[in-house]
Amino acid sequence: MTHEPRMIDCSEVLDRLYEFLDGELTPEREAEVKAHLVACAPCTSLSGFEASFIRFLEIRTRARKTPDSLRKKLLAQLLAQPDS
Amino acid sequence: MWGLLAAQVTPWPFQQPASSCASNRDRRFLIRMSTSKRQSFEEEALPHLDTVYRVALRLAGSETLAEDLTQDTMLKAFRSWSQYREGTNARAWLLTILRNTFINEYRKMRRRGPTLDVSEIEPYTVFHEITDVDPSGSFFDRIVDDEVLRAIDALPDEFRETLVLSDIEGLSYAEIATMTNVPVGTVKSRLFRARQALQRRLYDYAVEMGYIPARETPDDT
Repeated sequence: MTHEPRMIDCSEVLDRLYEFLDGELTPEREAEVKAHLVACAPCTSLSGFEASFIRFLEIRTRARKTPDSLRKKLLAQLLAQPDS
Repeated sequence: MWGLLAAQVTPWPFQQPASSCASNRDRRFLIRMSTSKRQSFEEEALPHLDTVYRVALRLAGSETLAEDLTQDTMLKAFRSWSQYREGTNARAWLLTILRNTFINEYRKMRRRGPTLDVSEIEPYTVFHEITDVDPSGSFFDRIVDDEVLRAIDALPDEFRETLVLSDIEGLSYAEIATMTNVPVGTVKSRLFRARQALQRRLYDYAVEMGYIPARETPDDT
């Protein structure tokens, strides 16, 4: 038997928004936020904006890779260490 | 990559085929028991090298310092590899070594620029300012990468660290809390304020560059 999510107001959604977007809420709390978003256009709009911002940060910052010169130097140093 | 490099320098005992009589389970066990420290490090730690380098870059604030910090971290990790429990969270283990090395040996060398004040930021104000002109925040796409990184680097240490671990490397709140020795509630509040401060700085930059019009205030005529 499933229960309807408890109705929460906008301020509760705002308090939990990042936890919701980061996948940090329990299934029960997540269902409450989702139920609110379905019925509340301003919160849905804010949630969309914040989600885009988090994605933007990830895309713009994750592209950096270890420089080849550093990788080679490190591997040579590791190989020079005793293997025991 | 290392395997290829290593193969030219030193023999790999576990690249030899296991006995054909052994079951898969036995073979896995034999391989695990006889795996050299170097091979095990290669398999579990080296895949996280880019993560270590990216976090080092944001903690140290310069490429030169980040390269030294990355090398020190990985060498320390290799030397203390016997303390790592195989199959647990190698990424978190490496990042803990990185963080401790940074705090103890590198923090004093970090070049400091202007620091963002995160205490005065009102929640969600940027969204309320752009909601009529650009509710999806597409103006962010026009901001160059260097400006994004400069804004992250201007965050105070504990806020920058939390944001980098969460938003760049995707660690959970619990992982960050363990690594930084603070309660999960502190991670949440640091992340919230760091994101809002960053958003504000990038929005102000976008207005300054003309990527988005400034919001008219009631005093404007």
